[in-house]
Amino acid sequence: MEDRNTDGTPVVRMIDITKTFPGVVANDRVSLTLHKGEVLALLGENGAGKSTLMNMLIGLYQPDSGSIFINGVHRQIHSPQDSMALGIGMIHQEFMLVGNMSVAENIVLGMKDLPFVPPMGEIKKKITALSKRYGLQVYPDKIIHDLSVGEQQRVEILKLLYRGADILILDEPTAVLTPGESRDLNEILKRMLSEGKSAIFITHKMDEVMSFSHTVQVLRRGKSVAVKPTGDIANVQELANMMVGRDVLFSLDRGPYEPGLAMVEVKDLVMLPIGGGKPILDNVSFSVRSGEIFGIAGVAGNGQQQLTEAITGLLHVDGGSIHLGGKNMTNKSPLAIIKGGVSHIPADRGRMGVVGDMSVGENLSMKKYRTAELSHNAVMKKSRIRRFAEDLIERFTIKTPSQDTSVKFLSGGNIQKTILAREIDFCRGILIAVYPSRGLDVGATEAVRQNLIKQRDQGSAVLLVSEELEELLMVADRIAVMFEGRIMDILDANKTTTEELGMLMAGVAREGR
Amino acid sequence: MRTHLQKRDNRSMRMTILVPIISLLVSFLLGALVLLLSKANPLVTYQAMLKGAFGSQTKIQYTIAKAVPLLLCGLAVGVAFRLKFWNIGAEGQYIAGVIGITWVMQFWTFLPVWLLLPIGMVVGVACGALWAAIPGFLKAQWSVDETLTTLMMNYIIIGYAEYLYINAWKAPRGNMGTILYPEAAWLPRIWGRVHAGVYFALALVVVLYFILYKTRWGFELNMIGKNRRAAQCQGVCIKRNIVLGMLLSGAIAGLAGAIDSAAVTHQLTKGVNSGYGFTGIIIAWMSALNPFVSILVALIMAALETGSDALQIMKLPSAMGEVMQGLILIPLLAGSVFIDYRLVSRASHTEATP
Amino acid sequence: MKRGIVLLLIVLLVSMVAFGQGSKDKASAADAVLKVGVIYISPPGDMGYSYMHDQGTIAMEQHFGDKVEVIRMEDIPENESSERVMENLIDAGCKIIFANSYNYQQYMQNVAKRHPNVYFEHCSGYLDNPNMSNYFGRMYQMRYLSGMIAARMSASGKIGYVGAYNTPEVVRGINAFTLGVRAINPKATVTVVWTNTWFDPSLERQGAIALLDQGCDVIAQHQDTTEPAKAAVERGKYAIGYNADFGKIVGDERVLVSPMWNWGNYMIPTIQSVLDGTWKSQSYWGGLEDEMIHLSPISPLVPADMVKAVEAKQQEMHDKKWDVFWGEIRDNTGAVRQKSGEKMSDEAMLTIDWFVEGVIGSVY
Repeated sequence: MEDRNTDGTPVVRMIDITKTFPGVVANDRVSLTLHKGEVLALLGENGAGKSTLMNMLIGLYQPDSGSIFINGVHRQIHSPQDSMALGIGMIHQEFMLVGNMSVAENIVLGMKDLPFVPPMGEIKKKITALSKRYGLQVYPDKIIHDLSVGEQQRVEILKLLYRGADILILDEPTAVLTPGESRDLNEILKRMLSEGKSAIFITHKMDEVMSFSHTVQVLRRGKSVAVKPTGDIANVQELANMMVGRDVLFSLDRGPYEPGLAMVEVKDLVMLPIGGGKPILDNVSFSVRSGEIFGIAGVAGNGQQQLTEAITGLLHVDGGSIHLGGKNMTNKSPLAIIKGGVSHIPADRGRMGVVGDMSVGENLSMKKYRTAELSHNAVMKKSRIRRFAEDLIERFTIKTPSQDTSVKFLSGGNIQKTILAREIDFCRGILIAVYPSRGLDVGATEAVRQNLIKQRDQGSAVLLVSEELEELLMVADRIAVMFEGRIMDILDANKTTTEELGMLMAGVAREGR
Repeated sequence: MRTHLQKRDNRSMRMTILVPIISLLVSFLLGALVLLLSKANPLVTYQAMLKGAFGSQTKIQYTIAKAVPLLLCGLAVGVAFRLKFWNIGAEGQYIAGVIGITWVMQFWTFLPVWLLLPIGMVVGVACGALWAAIPGFLKAQWSVDETLTTLMMNYIIIGYAEYLYINAWKAPRGNMGTILYPEAAWLPRIWGRVHAGVYFALALVVVLYFILYKTRWGFELNMIGKNRRAAQCQGVCIKRNIVLGMLLSGAIAGLAGAIDSAAVTHQLTKGVNSGYGFTGIIIAWMSALNPFVSILVALIMAALETGSDALQIMKLPSAMGEVMQGLILIPLLAGSVFIDYRLVSRASHTEATP
Repeated sequence: MKRGIVLLLIVLLVSMVAFGQGSKDKASAADAVLKVGVIYISPPGDMGYSYMHDQGTIAMEQHFGDKVEVIRMEDIPENESSERVMENLIDAGCKIIFANSYNYQQYMQNVAKRHPNVYFEHCSGYLDNPNMSNYFGRMYQMRYLSGMIAARMSASGKIGYVGAYNTPEVVRGINAFTLGVRAINPKATVTVVWTNTWFDPSLERQGAIALLDQGCDVIAQHQDTTEPAKAAVERGKYAIGYNADFGKIVGDERVLVSPMWNWGNYMIPTIQSVLDGTWKSQSYWGGLEDEMIHLSPISPLVPADMVKAVEAKQQEMHDKKWDVFWGEIRDNTGAVRQKSGEKMSDEAMLTIDWFVEGVIGSVY
């Protein structure tokens, strides 16, 4: 992008922002500066602290320490209403639109100074004018349901512009867009900058950073590790290095690689979105053998999670086959697949992995309660279950006041250990782990990784989905890279590099093959 | 300065105990205020209400008799709520039970009289279960919103019951209502006005407690209610359990209807839509879905009703009874918010440039 | 949360029982005042059935002054709750209890058997006990007279009747009304709609509107609110009231006349008999001669000769020279139900479940 003026008062200055959550330092003395007419790309792995930082800027969280200046004035931002009043608006990954209402209604929805009977005629006129000015092509009378994802995103942008936002925060705006729509978004952003607006852009996609932004700021593990003008960055590879970093790798003891029978065989798997569009899974084929860890790399949202949910029976596939332990398990029920010996550490710990309002002990028994070990016919053996839970808490060093504590009161790491304990204890040869170390601190991460390797050494087939390349390189035996529902390539973990993986993750195919 | 609710980081034990006590005090204070406005002495009135509910053996009997259908309906609703299935159709399922038992009593005359009661109760239970299974199935199969279906189905069956006791099944002479059940088939009274239904209700509390807290199925219902997606990940079949849960919920409501008509009304007649099913919602909610606690709550709800006769005897307007019942319930229900949330006030402020 | 609430509930319940039990009655002073309990199916504010009962109660209170004290229990459902309410009234010292709706009778009889020293008076039923009477009035006589007026004022000969439920009381009223209509205009018809409610302003109005839409130009009713009458006069048609003087309440001369109750004329002698110690159990069905029932003033729109005709008929009934269900009566399928020269027994009238000739509609 063309040069911009870095003189004058920055529109946003965040200084030494620190924010801790129980067990995790989400932001550690992070500073950020945004000038008028500038696009800042905020780059980092998942859990690096990007969203936390932005949520403090729009008032969803309060920083523990540090200060925020907007247009040179020190501000306490308590709520999104406060930030909106200061001209800051954020477009979240999940749109906040009411599907069965019109564009115009959505745009004015929730505005405080709206009269009891809104003057819809005037509102529509203003929307049409704004839409023309920024080249958004949004029609105020259309119903949200009938719009494409790209159009919905433009409605979100319009919503902020209508309310007078000068500083836009976009959280992975292109993750849901087709390449054509991404180009359109780029055009819209340029128009807005020329009108004196500024933007912060959260992303994983490195090529976009290069084409969209003026400045790149990289966060890693809650710290700001680099701030550079985009022009000073030589290529996508350098950017990938900045993001993944060169942290000291833990060396983990592991047995020799002696793969056995193919336990998971996925062939030509196709999954289509409801209502049509580009496939979520596009002819995916691979196999995982016993005694190996098969890693799947890729930026979140490229079909990895749906792939694992298809294998575990939670989602239906539209084509292809899944064989588990030699048996055809395509579109079988989750229970049949569990009984077929599959353990699953799901992507979303809180929503899928545990029942937060139930106790640690109950959560630990949620797989085995059906077995004769923990129940007699339909009746559960309560004292046996207590001993069973006590044993797992000890073996997996779950830190909890007691097994009767509700799981929701545990730290993220201990919640994950609870899931690990349950799934690994139950494992009958196949373990599927999706982002198992996401958001965990160093110690918990290490525990997760060690457990995965232990399973492998004991002869299980482990399917590991991760966004962290260092984790995959350290733990996996083979690594597949997914991009837009396809497997780009399957690589030998010992022979590949973060650079190579990073290129594949960004959708750049390897040359000479 | 604005105020808003903020979720507490931890549930504090102090608030857990304090909140219900304060809520109750607020309830009685609010009630006292209204009574004072009506120029009644609150203390005397409260005492009269207590006497109305528990003042003599007969009054205790009436309170207990009233509590039986309330308890059963509370249990019925509680089972569905455990699944986070918002069954507000216990009223209709109760009526289905009354229709079922009346059908047997009136038309299955080929049966020996001593068989009418047990078979009538079984049919009543089955009718309640089936009536509840319809919204359960609609929800499981097509995600049809259960609050609407269960509510609307109440009105359907109220209308149908009306058609039965006014037209199709009306006793040949006399006013609205079917013929009385044969006296030999009545559910007997065991202590004054208290009938044998109290055995069924108490037995059901124990059985339900066992099912919900000790069996695998109860464990699964709990998982589904508290985190549907996680339960699914653990291989629990959501659809099947919703239908099964509603069958059980409706069966209990149907039992309530069958018992009340076998023991008290002995016919299908005007007033079958007594509101027990709706009060059951409050009972289930206040008892935190625990069957044993439901006994206490049902007794209190019954006492609120039997006790409020005293208000009219004290020459207060008839609507005052319902006003008092509402005033006592609302703070109790609303108060629970403050166990998990706290009220904070804040001032928005701006500081100058450094 | 749970444990806290459980604990609290237990404490609450126990203290309620203790408190309730502990404060025993201070043996309510056996003073000279006679306490009278009155149970109404609805609040008397309905301006209908319970309102008229309460007018009777008020008349009785005024008649006896300090000698009686009335405790009113309003809006009491017709289920076991009514039994409890009667028990409570007895505990409060009532020596006689009135209840004004049909379905109370079984519960009242239960209580009567348990309390032989209390008198019970049930309105509109048939059950009794040595200490329990039932009583009602021959409202059908007034219905007949109002039917005569309706027939005279109807241009179309199509008259509508909004009925609550298909109970013998309502059916009997419709039949008497129709006989009165046919006495004046043998070709006129009475069309019946059922609302299946005693008290529901909007349903009652809907019923009347349906009849008006069919071309009825007089609307009679057996309902508790003035809505059917209002619907008729709003369309410029005529109405026949019930219970109270609707002409006065609606404020329109097109309300031609209202058959009315005068319950005070039963309650006053009954209370007097209690005070005198002469109370006896009876099945009482009072008619014109006891002034339990009467007609409101007739609207000036009704021609004078018609008013005279009505007064003449009324006198005949008063003198027991003639009554409504005397002579040949056909049902509305044309079958002869009663031969000429016969008089319908009270028993037959109290259980009637068919319509006379001229009624359009069915009981079931």
